[in-house]
Amino acid sequence: MTADSPKKLMCHLVAGYPTMELSFQAALGMVEGGASYLEVQFPFSDPTADGPRIQEACVQALEGGFTLEKGFQLVGNLAQTFPTVPLFIMSYASLLYRRGIPWFLDQAQEAGAKGLIVPDLPFDQDEGYYQAAWDRGLHPVSVVVPTMDPGRLDQLLSFLRGHGEPYVYVALRTGITGDPTRLSDENLSFLKSLATKGLKLVAGFGISSREQVEALSPYVEAVVVGSYLVGIIREAAFPSKSSEGGKDALVKRAVAAAVSGLIQSR
Amino acid sequence: MHVQPSADRDSTQRMMEGKHRITGFFGSFGGRYVAEVLRKPLDELEEAFITIVPSREFQEEYQGKLRTFVGRPTPLYYAENTTRLLGGGRLYIKLEGLAATGAHKINNALGQGLLAKRMGKKRVIAETGAGQHGVAVAAVCAHLGIPCRVYMGEVDMMRQKPNVFWMERYGAEVVGVSSGSRTLKDAVNEALRDWASHPDDTFYILGSALGPSPYPDMVRTFQSVIGKETKEQLAALGLEPAALIACVGGGSNAIGFFSPYVYPGNSPYETDEQGASRPEGEKAPLLIGVEAGGMGSGIGQHAARMTGEGKVGIVQGYKSRFLLDEDGQVLPTHSVSAGLDYPGIGPELAHLGEVGRIEFTTATDKEAMEAMDFFARTEGVLFALESAHGGAAAIRLLPTFPREAVVVVNMSGRGDKDLFITAKELDRERWKEFLLREAASLGGSL
Ligand SMILES: Cc1ncc(COP(=O)(O)O)c(C=O)c1O
Repeated sequence: MTADSPKKLMCHLVAGYPTMELSFQAALGMVEGGASYLEVQFPFSDPTADGPRIQEACVQALEGGFTLEKGFQLVGNLAQTFPTVPLFIMSYASLLYRRGIPWFLDQAQEAGAKGLIVPDLPFDQDEGYYQAAWDRGLHPVSVVVPTMDPGRLDQLLSFLRGHGEPYVYVALRTGITGDPTRLSDENLSFLKSLATKGLKLVAGFGISSREQVEALSPYVEAVVVGSYLVGIIREAAFPSKSSEGGKDALVKRAVAAAVSGLIQSR
Repeated sequence: MHVQPSADRDSTQRMMEGKHRITGFFGSFGGRYVAEVLRKPLDELEEAFITIVPSREFQEEYQGKLRTFVGRPTPLYYAENTTRLLGGGRLYIKLEGLAATGAHKINNALGQGLLAKRMGKKRVIAETGAGQHGVAVAAVCAHLGIPCRVYMGEVDMMRQKPNVFWMERYGAEVVGVSSGSRTLKDAVNEALRDWASHPDDTFYILGSALGPSPYPDMVRTFQSVIGKETKEQLAALGLEPAALIACVGGGSNAIGFFSPYVYPGNSPYETDEQGASRPEGEKAPLLIGVEAGGMGSGIGQHAARMTGEGKVGIVQGYKSRFLLDEDGQVLPTHSVSAGLDYPGIGPELAHLGEVGRIEFTTATDKEAMEAMDFFARTEGVLFALESAHGGAAAIRLLPTFPREAVVVVNMSGRGDKDLFITAKELDRERWKEFLLREAASLGGSL
C-alpha cells in the first residue's frame, strides 16, 4: 500500500490571485501537471479557517477587484475547458448567505461546479445549504477533523445517508508533520475508520511533498494541495529575479511542474 | 448541542437555575457557525460555562475578586451639574471606568480567566482592538499566574502604543497581526486560528459579547454585574430608571448594563418576535445603544450596524448584523474610538434591536470628543472616547425627559488611555511641542 496506489490530487487555487487571468493560468497548469480535481476558493475578507498564506492571497485577490461575478465566470471557463475535471468551489458562509444560498448555488450549478466546500456552514447549522445543494445535484462537501467527537461524526454520517457516495473533506490540521512519509497514528486511524463508510475522502493540510502524497493516497480519493501551490504561484508571478517570458506562461509552467512533481513515480 | 432557534431567549438565566442548556440563539441571531476544528473546544467551553460558572465555589471566588482585585462596586454618580445645566431628566453616570485597568472589560476577563484556571488550561490567548480588553486580560493573567498572548492588529498597535506597553508590563506577549485590515477583526481571526491549533491547552478569552456560542451568553453573564449593581444602587436611592444609555462596539458593556432590564424580574421572555414582555406593573426603561457615527454615513466612515447599512450575515462564527458589501465581504469601518470600530454587533443586541426592545442611535467622532470634554469640565469625570458616545447621546436626550425621570449612562471606561488621541485633537500645537521635546530628550527626532 505505498508507491503504487493511484495518486490523485485536488489542487486548490484562490480565484483572482494574483489576478483573475493568472489564477486561470494557474488552473491550466494544475490540470496539465496532473490534477484530478480543482478546488477554487472564492476569497473572503475574513477567512478564519485558512492559514496566513491563503489569507494573504485572498486579501490580494480582493484588492485586485475580485467579485462573485468574476469568480463564477472563472469557474465557468474552467468547467468548459476541462469538462472531465470535477471542480469544487470553496468559500465562507458570508458569501453564500449575503445574496441568498439558493442564488449562490444556482450560479455555481450554472457555472458547472460539481460541489462546494463551506467550512463555516456545518451540517447541523447549515441554513438549508445542504438540501438546497442536493436539490441542484451539487455535492455539499462536509469538512471533518480527527479530533471530532465520534458521536458527532455518526450524526453527520447519518445526515449524509441517502445521498450517494458523498465527498468528505478531512482536514488533517495537526497532520503530517515531522516524518513526512508517515501519518500520525491519530490521523491514520481516523482515515481508516472513515474508509469503510462509503465516502469519497479528500484529505490534506500542509501537503507539499511527494512523500506526503504517497503516504496519504492509499486512504483517499484525492489528496488536497493548497497553500504549497499558493506559494508556487506567488513565486512565479512575483519572481525575485527578472525572468524570460510572460507571466501567464511562467505561472502555468511553474504550477504544472510543481503538481507533476507531487505525483510522479520515482 | 443541536442548535435550534427557540422561543426561550433568557437561556443563561434558565441555565443558572439548572433548567436546560443554552441555545446559543437570540431570535434568529447567534449560533455557532464554525469550522469543525473549533467545534469540540466550543462544546467543552459551553460545558464548563454551564457547570462551573453557576457553582458556589466559582461564584464565591469570582465575587470576591470583583471586590478585592477589580474594585467593585463601581460608583453610581449623580451628575448634578449636568442635570442643572441641561434641564429635563436627572442624569446618573455608572462609573464603570473606575474598575481596575480602566474599563468594564476586566469583569469579563476575570470571569473567563477563572474559568480557564478551573478547566486546567495552561495558556490564555486574547484579541484586542483598543487594547482595553488586552490590558484587562494581561492583568488578570498576571494575577492568576497564567501565561498570556494577546493578538493585536498592527494598525491598532500603532494607534494604541501605551496599551501595548502596559500589556507587556503585565507580562503578556503582544503579537502584531499583519493580515487583512490589521485591526480588531483580524486579531479575532488570528486568535481563532491559534485556538484551532492548540485547543487542548489553550483558553481563548474573547472580549465582547460576540463570536460563536457560548461566548455571547458567557460574556453577557460576566458583564451583567454592571446592570445588577446599577439596579441595586438605584433601588437604594428609591429610584427606577426611565432610560439606560450605553455605547456599543461589540456590545459587551451595553448588554451587561441592560441585561437586568431586558429581562425584568429575571424571568424568561414570554413572547417571541414581539420582544421582551415584562411582569405587569414594572416599567421597562428605554434602552438606548449608541454606535459610532464616525465622520459620516459613507462606506468606511462609521461603524453603524443597526442604524446604518448593516446587513444580516454570518461572520466570525455567528449570525448578526454586519457592515458587508453586496458580495458578503466585510467593509472597512471608522471611529475615533478604537473600541467601537468593529464591523459586527453582538447577536443578542442585534435581536433586541430587531424586536424593538433596544433603540439604537449614533454619535459622531466630534460629538464624542465634545462630550468627553463636557463631562470633564462639568462633572470632573473623564469618559473614554467609546463611552463618550453614550455621553453624547445622554446630552442630546436628557432635555427631552421630564424632571423626575432618571437617565443612567454607562461610562464603560475612563479617558486616560486616550491621551494620544484627544491631545492631538484638542490641543494640537502644545502637544506636538511636548512630543518633539520628549523625542529630542531621548536623542531622536520626528
Ligand atoms: C471603554 C470601552 N468601552 C466600550 C468598548 C466597546 O466594547 P463593548 O461594546 O464590547 O462594550 C471598549 C472596547 O474596547 C472600551 O474599551
